[in-house]
Amino acid sequence: MQTLNLPDLELTPAVELNKEKNIFRIEGKSLLDKPTAFFEQIKHWFQTYKSEPNPETVLVIKFEYFNIATSRELLDIFKILETLPKAKIIWHFLEDDEDMEESGQELAELVKVPFDFQPY
Amino acid sequence: MSEEILKAITQLFAIISKQDGGVSDNERGFAINFFQQELEKSTVDEYLKLYDEISGYIGQTDKHEDDRSNKPTSVKDSIRTLAICKKINKTLTQKQKVVVLIKILELVSSDKQFTNQRMEIVNTVSTVFNIIQDEYKLIESFVVSEQISSLNFSDILIANEGNQAATPLQKHMHAHVDGHFVFLQVSSVGMYFVKYLGKDSNNLNGFTMKPSRVYLFSQGSIIKTPDGGALYYSDLVADFNAEIRTIKLSFVAKIDEFIFPNGAIGIRDVKIAEGPGKLIGIMGASGAGKTTLLNILAGLEKPGKGTIKINGFDIHADKSKVEGVIGYVAQDDLLIEELTVYQNLYYNAKLCFAQLKEAEIHERVMKALEDLGLDHRKDLKVGSILDKQISGGQRKRLNIALELIREPAILFLDEPTSGLSSRDSENVIDLLKELSLKGKLIFVVIHQPSSDIYKMFDKMILMDTGGYPTYYGNPVAAVTYFKKATNQVDSGRGQCEVCGNVNPEQIFNIIEARVVDEYGQPTNKRKVTPMQWNEMFKSNFKPALIEKTHEEPPQSLHLPSRLSQAIIFTKRNFLAKLSNKQYLLINLLEAPTLAILLAFIIKYKSAPSGKEYLFRYNENLPAFMLMAIIVALFMGLTVSAEEIIRDRKILKRESFLNLSWSSYLISKLAILFLLSAIQTFTFIIIGNWILEIQGMTLAFWFVLFTTSCFANVLGLNISSAFNSAVTVYILIPLLLIPQMILSGLLFDFDKLNELLSTKGKVPLMADLMTSRWAYEAIAVYQFKNNEYQKTYYDYERNEAEADFRSAYLADELKKKNQFLIDTYDSKEDSILQIQKINKQILFTELKNESFKAGISEVDMNSVFIQNGYTPKIGAQLNQYLDDYKKHYQKEYNANSDLIEKKMAFYQSQGFDIQQEKNSYFNESLSDLVRNVSAKERIMEYQGMLIQHIDPVFQSPNPKHFADYRTAFFFPEKNLFGLTVSTYTFNLVVIWCMTTIFFIALYFEVLRRIVGIFGQFSLSLKK
Repeated sequence: MQTLNLPDLELTPAVELNKEKNIFRIEGKSLLDKPTAFFEQIKHWFQTYKSEPNPETVLVIKFEYFNIATSRELLDIFKILETLPKAKIIWHFLEDDEDMEESGQELAELVKVPFDFQPY
Repeated sequence: MSEEILKAITQLFAIISKQDGGVSDNERGFAINFFQQELEKSTVDEYLKLYDEISGYIGQTDKHEDDRSNKPTSVKDSIRTLAICKKINKTLTQKQKVVVLIKILELVSSDKQFTNQRMEIVNTVSTVFNIIQDEYKLIESFVVSEQISSLNFSDILIANEGNQAATPLQKHMHAHVDGHFVFLQVSSVGMYFVKYLGKDSNNLNGFTMKPSRVYLFSQGSIIKTPDGGALYYSDLVADFNAEIRTIKLSFVAKIDEFIFPNGAIGIRDVKIAEGPGKLIGIMGASGAGKTTLLNILAGLEKPGKGTIKINGFDIHADKSKVEGVIGYVAQDDLLIEELTVYQNLYYNAKLCFAQLKEAEIHERVMKALEDLGLDHRKDLKVGSILDKQISGGQRKRLNIALELIREPAILFLDEPTSGLSSRDSENVIDLLKELSLKGKLIFVVIHQPSSDIYKMFDKMILMDTGGYPTYYGNPVAAVTYFKKATNQVDSGRGQCEVCGNVNPEQIFNIIEARVVDEYGQPTNKRKVTPMQWNEMFKSNFKPALIEKTHEEPPQSLHLPSRLSQAIIFTKRNFLAKLSNKQYLLINLLEAPTLAILLAFIIKYKSAPSGKEYLFRYNENLPAFMLMAIIVALFMGLTVSAEEIIRDRKILKRESFLNLSWSSYLISKLAILFLLSAIQTFTFIIIGNWILEIQGMTLAFWFVLFTTSCFANVLGLNISSAFNSAVTVYILIPLLLIPQMILSGLLFDFDKLNELLSTKGKVPLMADLMTSRWAYEAIAVYQFKNNEYQKTYYDYERNEAEADFRSAYLADELKKKNQFLIDTYDSKEDSILQIQKINKQILFTELKNESFKAGISEVDMNSVFIQNGYTPKIGAQLNQYLDDYKKHYQKEYNANSDLIEKKMAFYQSQGFDIQQEKNSYFNESLSDLVRNVSAKERIMEYQGMLIQHIDPVFQSPNPKHFADYRTAFFFPEKNLFGLTVSTYTFNLVVIWCMTTIFFIALYFEVLRRIVGIFGQFSLSLKK
């Protein structure tokens, strides 16, 4: 299946979704007021991937900042992950960014996918 | 609201407040206000602490304008908002979420700080709450806007002194008010909110309305302005729903007086005028005539004096114009218990909408089920009250659904909530309210409604004992009206200040208050009599003017043709029967069981040797035939006797549809006849098999089937005439025993009371009995057409005839002739009398005689009628009668010879004649139909000689064209000049009787007769 590669831009994060290499990564910042269209491609990619998933899916999330509208979209993506076998989320945060760490923890409570917190 | 949710909302408030520079005092004030409204005083502090903690109010130092920078919302706040909203989503209903959203918007607008960050959070909240974007924009504008001109939405209504709306989409309503009332309709959840822009102190349900604050405008709410004006919820809703205004419907009832059959006055001087889109309650003490009023309004009963008009058409005089406009839901269940929820609705829809395709009907049924929350119960059988499969509330809702599915414009319901839990009651009334909002006019008799239900009504009609109307108007205002009327304190308040509850019982306490005696005990006397209340009512209420329309009311009915109605009825009926396992099993097993029982008991070693069973010698055959007929009659009656009674209620409801009665009856017949066919077939096939009756199955079956069909129609007649199944079952013996008495087998027709019997003929009374026709048909057919007999029947018939003439008739005639010769000269009156009779008999017997050797030139007429008799002729006759006897002896011998030769021939062909006779011929039956036991073989009766023996070998001798009467067991009958076999003739007679009874059933003749009897006995009592 096709890979999804999006570059890191001013308002949107970098995205790399590659089934063959087993790389799933969203990285950077997300500031769009209306991010639905942007995240729709990611959600769509995962929906297709869901029909033939890899035995293991590890999604790497590494955000500097995202706005409230993005948080909704992230939750949607995590909900799709719930349906995949052996899915896991690695939540990266800056070592002293307590906000980002706690946010990850709150999100982890909202979804059934296990979170792995890794400071950088 | 639970603690958890309140905490969640507090957190939301705090997160929003802290954005863009922190909490302002206004915002905090709003939050405190909110807590005070929702919480007890003691807990307000606790929540305020939580609010302050999260919003960072504590420790927030003095604010500078430049602090309110565009600092983005922190990731943590975003995620927390998300988490809170998700939590709220799990517990709150959509309606509650709309309220929360409005609260949040109010919080934001309390400080007018509509910054990007804040609005984005609110927007996210609304998205997570699944509130559609357009509706969010509408709500936001409504809460935020201070100018009516900026509200250009169709779901906004402004009430003010002006004469038109400020924007093109906005709705407008004229009201005497300083400033503006802004109403918001959130159509996805059917809620209304109001806010007031102005300076007056208005009153919402007894509370003062703060300007610019948003209030929920719930069902039954009233806003009162300082100068006494009032805005009612129902008026507002009607104004919002434009479609209602396009419906042309006016219902005007003017009942001057309605008198019960027993002479009491039921309703006095009720005037009702209503348009579309109203939910109207009828309340009153028991015996006040609520149900009577409803029945009159629905057209079930005619108002004694007065008229009921829909769009100007009288519902009794112009029945066809208002067909299908009215729907009626009675208090009792009108369901077909054997069918599933879905089937009940489906067949109802099939009967209402001939024009819809199968898929469309399915869609409609499913939609109705979903609307009523019954979709997941659709395949459950309704079941009886004792064997409940669905709950009482679901039954009630299904009852209503039956009417709703065809969407009548006016709906009447008699106590739709009786026996329901308060939750179910509320659901039912909610549903009715929703329908009224779609433009239906709905009248409901209601008893002890809860406050919430009471407030949902647009208008309330109150009746007092004796049929006096005492109130007609807004329900909540009724409380104040009666409080004022009796000068109670606090009369301005209709509902509780704290909880907004209305206590409808209060009204009845006031209406029915009793005078207290000097010991403080209430007496039987009322403080205010119904008449006085009525007087007060007349002076206070003038019926509203309704826009009179005179076009045909909206109709939703497309009745199928009679044939398709019959097919639908039959299918429905068939499915109902199929699903009733007990009924089916008993009816299908009854016949074979009886057949086995009967045939087994009467089968014995009948052969003369006593060693084996031989059909020929089974003496029980005649009795078996009678029993078979009785069984057919009995099964036919029992199976049909309850049919119409069970359907009575359903028929009452369906009478509003004007469905075809004949289609209904034909569907009943189709099912019953089918059942009869199966029952009689299983009976006869088993009975005949055990008793070894061969070659008769089809012939017997058809007689039994015919009999059973007759019994079916008879049963339907009594079922339609009486009101209880018990009465009907008591009647069954009354119908069956005469059938047994006059069947012809148990009691000889010649030995009955002289009042009834006609010698030599079947009595007329017996001709009314199906059993006699059926029995004769079977017996004659079995005798005449069995394998053995049919070969010799014609010879034996000739033989028997010749035998009778030579052995009995010749001697008898000779005796008569001799008497004439001997007494030729006598002048005695008594002898002359006998002479006359004898001459008459000789004339009758000889005039058509084919053997006339020796008397061919004698003119019978002149000899016997015109006094031409002489001893000479007498002697000639004597000689002739001797020859006559010899002639017939010869004839007899010739036929005997023929029979013997025939037998010999068959024997030579290898047939075993004896064997054949043993298998097909029955001696007892033969004795019966040949009447060999008769002591008098020949008998004189009214100038005729009647042959008693061998009826089965005789021929009919009709006196006139339509004379069908013969003795019992004659092989043929006269049918208007044609000679027809008894088998055919008798079956035709039974089918004719069946047809006559069907016609009687169609016109409900028996029911009318019973009705007349009922009236008669009532008037005797008076």
